[in-house]
Formats: sequence, C-alpha cells, structure tokens
Amino acid sequence: MMKKRVLLSLSMVCIAGLFFFGLPTGCSPAAQNTIKVGIVDTYTGPATTFTMDVQDGFKLAVNEINAKGGVLGKKIEFATRDEKFKPDIGLAMAKELVLNEKVDILMGTINSATALAVSDFAKKEKIPFFVTFSKSEKIIGEKGHQYVFNMNENTAMIGKAAAISLAKKPYVKYWIAGDDYEYGHAIAETLWNNLKKIKPQVQKAGESWWKVGESDFTPYITQILAAKPDFIIVATGGSGMVNFQKAAKATGLSQKIPFYQHTAIELSVLKPQEMNAPEGVFGTANYFFYYPDTPSNKAFVNEFKTAYNREPRIGALSGYMTAKFIAEGYKKAGKLDKEALIKALENMSLESPVGPMAIRGCDHQLELPMYFGVTAKNPKYGYLVAGDIQVIQAKDYMPTCEEVLKVRK
Amino acid sequence: MDAVYSIIPAGVFSQVFVGLSRTTILFIVASGLTLILGVLRIPNVAHGSLYMIGAFTAFSVTKLTGGGSEGFWLALVIAPLAVACISLIAERGMFQFLYEREHLMLLLLTFAISLIFGDLVKLVWGSEYKSVPVPHMFQGFVPLFGGLPFPLYNLFLLAAGPVVAILLWLLTNKTKMGKIARAAAVDREMVGAVGINVSRVFAIVFVIGCYLAGLGGVLVAPTVSVTLGMDHNLIMEAFLIVIMGGLGNIWGALLGALIFGLTQSLGILIWPKFGIIFPYLAVVAVLLFRPTGLLKSTW
Repeated sequence: MMKKRVLLSLSMVCIAGLFFFGLPTGCSPAAQNTIKVGIVDTYTGPATTFTMDVQDGFKLAVNEINAKGGVLGKKIEFATRDEKFKPDIGLAMAKELVLNEKVDILMGTINSATALAVSDFAKKEKIPFFVTFSKSEKIIGEKGHQYVFNMNENTAMIGKAAAISLAKKPYVKYWIAGDDYEYGHAIAETLWNNLKKIKPQVQKAGESWWKVGESDFTPYITQILAAKPDFIIVATGGSGMVNFQKAAKATGLSQKIPFYQHTAIELSVLKPQEMNAPEGVFGTANYFFYYPDTPSNKAFVNEFKTAYNREPRIGALSGYMTAKFIAEGYKKAGKLDKEALIKALENMSLESPVGPMAIRGCDHQLELPMYFGVTAKNPKYGYLVAGDIQVIQAKDYMPTCEEVLKVRK
Repeated sequence: MDAVYSIIPAGVFSQVFVGLSRTTILFIVASGLTLILGVLRIPNVAHGSLYMIGAFTAFSVTKLTGGGSEGFWLALVIAPLAVACISLIAERGMFQFLYEREHLMLLLLTFAISLIFGDLVKLVWGSEYKSVPVPHMFQGFVPLFGGLPFPLYNLFLLAAGPVVAILLWLLTNKTKMGKIARAAAVDREMVGAVGINVSRVFAIVFVIGCYLAGLGGVLVAPTVSVTLGMDHNLIMEAFLIVIMGGLGNIWGALLGALIFGLTQSLGILIWPKFGIIFPYLAVVAVLLFRPTGLLKSTW
C-alpha cells in the first residue's frame, strides 16, 4: 500500500514536471547523420501569431531539402523550445539545445532581449545563430559578432526606409507617438533623425508614449487631434497595431491627419479588421503574398497555403530563407564545419520567392527589399491590402557597413 | 459654450469624456472582481481570463451571425452568459471546496487557472489577432466640444456605465440575495447559523462577478484587437482599482475606476510624453495616505 502511494505521488510529480517544463519536441538522441537546428522562440501568448509563420516557413523548406536527399548526404532536423517571451528562459533553452541536443545551429526569436542573450551565448560557444523575427538593431550593430545572422529587417532599416518615403511627402509638422519600450523608441528615433537629415525643415510638434500593450488609444488620439499636426509617426508593434487603427477609425483621425506605422499595410494587421480597417494609412512591410505578382512568389504562396491553409507572411519568408541559406551554405562549404559555413554564407546570394536575396558580408544582415504603401480597398480581397506600393531597394535603406561596424564593440 | 472654452480648452472636456468611457469598462470588470473578493474572499487572477473569453466569444458570435455589426448585440447577450456558465462550473466543481484556504494559495491557484485559460483560448481560437466590428449605429464619430471628434461608440459606453452601476446597486441593496451576500461578507458563520444556504449565495455572487468580467470583455471588443494577452494587461489595472477603492467595496471600484480613467486621459493632455505614469502616481498617493483604500473595505 505504502509503495503504491509512493509510486503514485512520484508519477504525479513527473507529470507535473512535464507540464512545468513543457513537452519538448524532437527529443531524439543526437545522431551524427543529421544537421540539427535548434529553434528558440515564443510559442505562448500574442507573439505566437508571428512565430508560427517562421516555424512553418522553415519546416516547408526543410521538407523540400530533405526530400531532395538533404545536404551533403545528411538530413536537416530541428527541435523547438518555447521561451515564453522571457530572455532567461530563452537562454536556458538555447544552452539546453546545445548541450543536450547537440544542435549545430541556433535560430529564433521574436524577443529582442532573448535574441541578444542567445547571441552572446552563441558567440562564446561559436555556434551560428540566425535571428528570424527580432527587430533590435543592436543584434548586428552594437552587439554584433561573426556568429550572428539577422534574417529580417531591424529598427535602423525600418526607420531609414520610412524616412526616405516620407521625405517625399509635403508634411512638415510631425507628431511622434509610440510604445514606450525599445522597439518603439528605436523606430521613432531613427526615422526622425533620417527624416531631419533628408528634409531639414521638418518640425516636431510633440510626442506621446504609451505603455506596451495599451488597448485604448482614444485619449491619446483626441489629444493629438487637438494639437493639429500635419502627420503622425506611430511606432507601435504587436496587437497595438490593430488597436491604434481601430481607434483611428472610430475617432475619425484617419480622415483628418495622415499617419505612418511600420507593418500598417501587412496582412497580420489588416486581415482581422476585414473591411473595417481605416483607408489611407501609410506603412512599410517586407513581404506580401500578392506582391510582386511573379511566378516564383505565386508558387511559394501556393506551396505554403497547401501545407498550412493560410497565406504566408513575412515570418514565413524569413523562416523559409533561413533554411535555404543553411542548406546552400553547407553545400558551398563542402563540409559540416561551422566556421566554413559562416565563410560560405558571407556575400552569398540566393533566389527567393521575391527575387534574389543576399547576406551582406560585413555585418551578416540579410538584404531584403522594403515596400512602402498605403492601406486601400481591393475588390479581390475581403480585407484591405497595400496599395500604391513603392519598392525601396536594400542598398538604399540599409545602414552602410561603416555605420554598422562603427558602433560594434 | 465659446465663453467656457476660453477659460477651459475644449480638449479638456473631450479628454474627460474619453476618460469616463474608459472608466466604464474598468468599472464593470473591477466591480466583478471586488464583488468576488469581498464576499468570497477569492483574489481571482483568472478574472482577466474571463474578460478575454468574453471578448473572444463576442468575436465568434459576430462571426457566426455573418460578421455583421448587428451580431454584436447578440454577443452582448450570449457572451457574458457563456462566461457565467464557465464560472458556474468552476465554482461548483472547485472553488466551493476551497473557501477556507489561505489567500496566497487561492492567488496561486487562480493564477494557474489563468494560464490554463490562456492556453485553452489559444487552442480554441488560434493565435491570430481578432477584431469585432463596431455595431452599425455607433460607427463613426460626432463633433463635440469645439468641433473635436468624439467616437459614437464611446458615447454608448458612457451610457452603459451608469446602467450597470444602478443595476448593481439594486442587486446588492434592494434584493434579499444582495443583503445576504453583504452579511455573509462580514460574518459568514453567523449567516450560516441562522439557516441560510451560504454556499448557494456564494455561487450566485461568484457567477455574477464573472458575468461582469464577460460583459466587460464584450463591451471592449469593438474598440481593440481581441488577442491573447489582453487578460494580463487588464487584470493588473483591475486589481489596482480594487485596492485603491477598498477591497470588496463596489463603490470603491467605481471611485477607483474613475480616478484611474481620468488621471490617465487628463495626464495625457498635460504631459503626453509621460502620460502613462499618472494613474500609477494616483495609486501611490492613495496608498500612502489611505493604505486600506478610499472607501471602507469589507476585509
């Protein structure tokens, strides 16, 4: 009887432990015959809407590569870990992946603080780390090193791209508003500094900053309306994007004062609002499933839609291209060696669904195009899409190698 | 009116009314929280989850009725009831056995439940952002106060707040059930000793409190994106309001919500760059001078 009870409580503890630490996927013992990639990302909470895109895009490319016999005769395998949007957990997970799962490559995450922590660890362990959704410019700037690769846009790029496009508009009196954390401030600051450089006559009418996750923007908007600026730069992210657009529509802001948000024209923001999203909002984004309307983009969209029953978004492209670069990098290196992989990837250019994309040699930043556009109705879709799209080429809006390397320590 | 605006700018009036409509949502949710806290002594962290479930259910109901804005009115009836059903199951199945437990233990338990609810919502509704359209008759805005636009839906919220407050007052002061609940909050054993089925009263109070969370979720849905994590943002504000007003006091919740909503909107007007700190400064000020809250706590 006693033994039974001990056994019961022991098993209870085990089950509880499983729940506590999460059920890790891909627990297979490290085999020499595979290339192992460890993904650390946020799979709980609101960020999931973006991180699943990365994982699914990556999986799609990996399946393609493995179906063709893999890389250097080896299949690519991957394991995922949920960092719950917490840098300390993320770092522990990355360590666990390297020590227990013996992964060759790390990738992730949507949380910039986690990305920086994992990046630091990757540098010490000399393991290549591919950043798939974090937007901090510190990742390849201030805290950059030769083992980290940035596979998506960063705040420095966003700010510069938006400044280039907005400088062509007639607005002079700007109001700056945003999420009161690093992402918001970083975008607003680079945008403003670049805008002042290109168009010195711009003026700042005022600023408002709200807490991250603010749901009700009405009081902020009524205050900005009373100040009557020509244009508003809105540096929000996540669910704040939709919240702000809804409040802009309800208060009539979108009809009175034009404003800009990064990803305002993106599917993740516009699709949930269906036909109720405000028209005429300026935005930037790095990927649309409907633009450019080329056979290679259509093929990618079809493939992704068949596999996951939804349209791919920027994260999907980022995940997809990361897998392609890993595979082609090893092929070019000719051996499973991390240093050789890094050398091979520098300045490597690959065909992507939206045209050729290269990894810049000096700072390991993926050179991807940026699109500037405005929210507009389109009879083909049941939601608003990007209209009046202008392409900004990577070389025009990426900070120069000198600028990036100057801030590196 | 122009004479008034020359003394007080029109923006101030606009800001006060926007703040008051925000107060409505905060009050509805916080009053449910404080009701449960006062009568059942449960610091229900999962209250925010019920608010989130209310919003998600509102999304589903509007979607099922064709995505039209009229579905919102149906959601306003169904979603809080759905939340009430969930809470009834939780109360009868679990909480009724736990009333005598330590508050810390209940805090941890309800926190765990909020995490479980968070994952369940992700399983049922997925992780995409959802949006509930504003009902047709309240779409758009009207020029109020010196021509500054004011959203029509916020006017609706302004009207809804007092209605809920009056209904709550009638319930707690004019019904027998309300009187028993108030008595039980002060001395549970005594109420039981005079032959009243306290357990049933507690269940009803718990369900009403949770119904209010669901109602808050439906009312907020047209103004925000319905998304995972909306529970965490709200529950902290709701607890601060309840603490400011005095634990368990419904009028305290109203006062706390008013202070929170107004300091936020007026703070933005005074100092937009640091508008977020004003509600928290108010909390600090209240707790410094009245550590037990502004009104009488039932604890």
